[in-house]
Amino acid sequence: MLAATDITNPGYSVLFALLLFIAASVWLGTLAQKAMEKKEFLKGFFLGNRGLGAWALALTATVQSGGTFMGFPALVYSHGWIVLLWIGSYMVVPLLSFAVVGKRLAQLSRMTDSFTVPDLLRERFADPRVGLVSSIMIITFMSFTMFAQFKAGATIMKHAWPGSGVLALSEDYEPTAAEKAEAKEGRTSASSPHDSKPIDRKYYVGLVVFTVTVVGYTLIGGFLASVWTDLFQSVMMVIGVTILVCLAVPMAGGLEQASRTAIENTSSDIVFGPGFSTNGRQFLTPGLALSMFFIWIFGGFVSPASMVRVMAAESTEVMRKSICLLSCYNCLIYIPLVMTCIAARTMLPHLEKPDEVIPRMSMLVTKGLPGGQFISGLILAAPFGAIMASVSCFILVISSGLVQDIYVRFLNPAATEAQIRRATNISMIGVGLIAVIANLDPPQYLQALVVLSASGGGAAFTIPVLMACYWRRTTAAGMLAGMLVGFCFYFGLSAAGWLQNWAAAATESSTFARSVIGLLGPDPKIGVPGLFRPYYIFGIDPMVWSLVVSAFAGIGTSLVTKPPAEEHVSRFFDVAVVK
Amino acid sequence: MPEIQELPLLKSARREALVALGIWLAATIYSLGYCFKYGYGRDPETLTYVLGFPDWVFWGLVVPWGVCTIIASIFAFWFMKDEDLPESGQ
Repeated sequence: MLAATDITNPGYSVLFALLLFIAASVWLGTLAQKAMEKKEFLKGFFLGNRGLGAWALALTATVQSGGTFMGFPALVYSHGWIVLLWIGSYMVVPLLSFAVVGKRLAQLSRMTDSFTVPDLLRERFADPRVGLVSSIMIITFMSFTMFAQFKAGATIMKHAWPGSGVLALSEDYEPTAAEKAEAKEGRTSASSPHDSKPIDRKYYVGLVVFTVTVVGYTLIGGFLASVWTDLFQSVMMVIGVTILVCLAVPMAGGLEQASRTAIENTSSDIVFGPGFSTNGRQFLTPGLALSMFFIWIFGGFVSPASMVRVMAAESTEVMRKSICLLSCYNCLIYIPLVMTCIAARTMLPHLEKPDEVIPRMSMLVTKGLPGGQFISGLILAAPFGAIMASVSCFILVISSGLVQDIYVRFLNPAATEAQIRRATNISMIGVGLIAVIANLDPPQYLQALVVLSASGGGAAFTIPVLMACYWRRTTAAGMLAGMLVGFCFYFGLSAAGWLQNWAAAATESSTFARSVIGLLGPDPKIGVPGLFRPYYIFGIDPMVWSLVVSAFAGIGTSLVTKPPAEEHVSRFFDVAVVK
Repeated sequence: MPEIQELPLLKSARREALVALGIWLAATIYSLGYCFKYGYGRDPETLTYVLGFPDWVFWGLVVPWGVCTIIASIFAFWFMKDEDLPESGQ
């Protein structure tokens, strides 16, 4: 399908587009720095002085992560049409993101003059423990999600490297072939001894370039830089997806033909539930499909990144408009992406690494076009931008947590502005370094990690945040119980899953493993493969169970503890009206 | 004599939250129900295509997706109330 001749040319144009993107982000970062210079450092840097408009809020509040452009397409490519059901609850995500707690959070954060979620909760309950616990949990969950993004960013940079991506696209789709070619040119040393490891030096270079860029412009411009680059990439992404679907589907012979060819290339499972699978594992059983309708919703509107942006919204009118904008935007992203990846089963029928389906498709479909190399560069740059933007957002939330909730609140309450700035810089650089280290040997399925942390955060925060917003009787102890029990239950079930996973592999050699299997039952063979597979009770994701348990713990504990002081609650719930 | 009342924003926010959760519930029941019935365990020979989508994908996901988008817009422009947000620190 592809001539192996233009190896270097498209590579350079993709790299060029990426560099353009990086330059634009840094430029936006410096603009953002100017915009916030006048105001107080912390609120300007971490909340953009509460001035987000509708576009910025809509297109950045539910972070379009690297998962959208890498992990999600990989799942579609691997399992087929059923993945649209997997993501199906995105049809109501925009509504729920802003309509359930949006207005109330914006109000509470202003009443308490707080700019991080833990800060808000601490003030709402006048209890530092609530702040500390929520802060630690947010930092943990966001770190998981963020580390997954670094892998995605580095992978894209690797593909953009001149001669790399296109070489990997040559007919035989074997990563080892690319590595052999590189080894012949004397460019790799580390990757050739063990062929099973397809990570090469370009990945590391990509990882470093990516990290330096993102940490750099986030350091310069803070929250506004993160939001503006996010907005910019969101627009680029919808353009990229549109170009891609318009080119890919006709090239595959139309959508219906694409499905038929996909069936020929795989099996009829690819158009039905629970999805096509090569490893005997049912991808999306009905129980898991049900779970996903909880995970995306309740992992979404209480995700710390989303709550912080709602807190930064300028007005409630902005939120209303955002609901509409984001709803339309999601329509234009997810369904076309699924169509594109179904078409990919016709055009690239046997990809070794499904994570690479979008980068490869974008290079492939634009190949014959005039200026196609540059278009493919732009399509590739869009997800790169998405990843940069979400990483920058996560770095901000994590470091705002480290700086405000831990450094200022606990370590040095009398910190001067210069000290706070220094702490901010140190924490951001530290987070970047840890992310690089964590990604030296990245996990296989990106989206599994994102799901893990999204649903973990949802399990811990959904019920407590709802209680804090709407229930007068909520006590600090109830909040702590709701968060900790949700968190622990979710992690308990995840850990049980990992244990079960390990035990299933080790039953031959270990009696302990056999007793674990005896207790937990055999591997149910559902979901995605990999280490991070949780333990499913009745085939339902732990997130759903954690929500239930968290509700019992939160409400129950609130009811048995002493009611909060009426005048304190009244401050957040009541208004005096003169008759 | 001032009377203590619940904040107006709290009232409208609570009502909107309940309606939004209701829409989520309805969408979930419909989409999952339709897809479970027609998308799982089906004879491949019976599959038809609507606008290129497998039929159950079209009726179970694409159509409700469109409907939800319309409902969300109606919600945003005709149902959700604007409220004044307090000045920071009040």
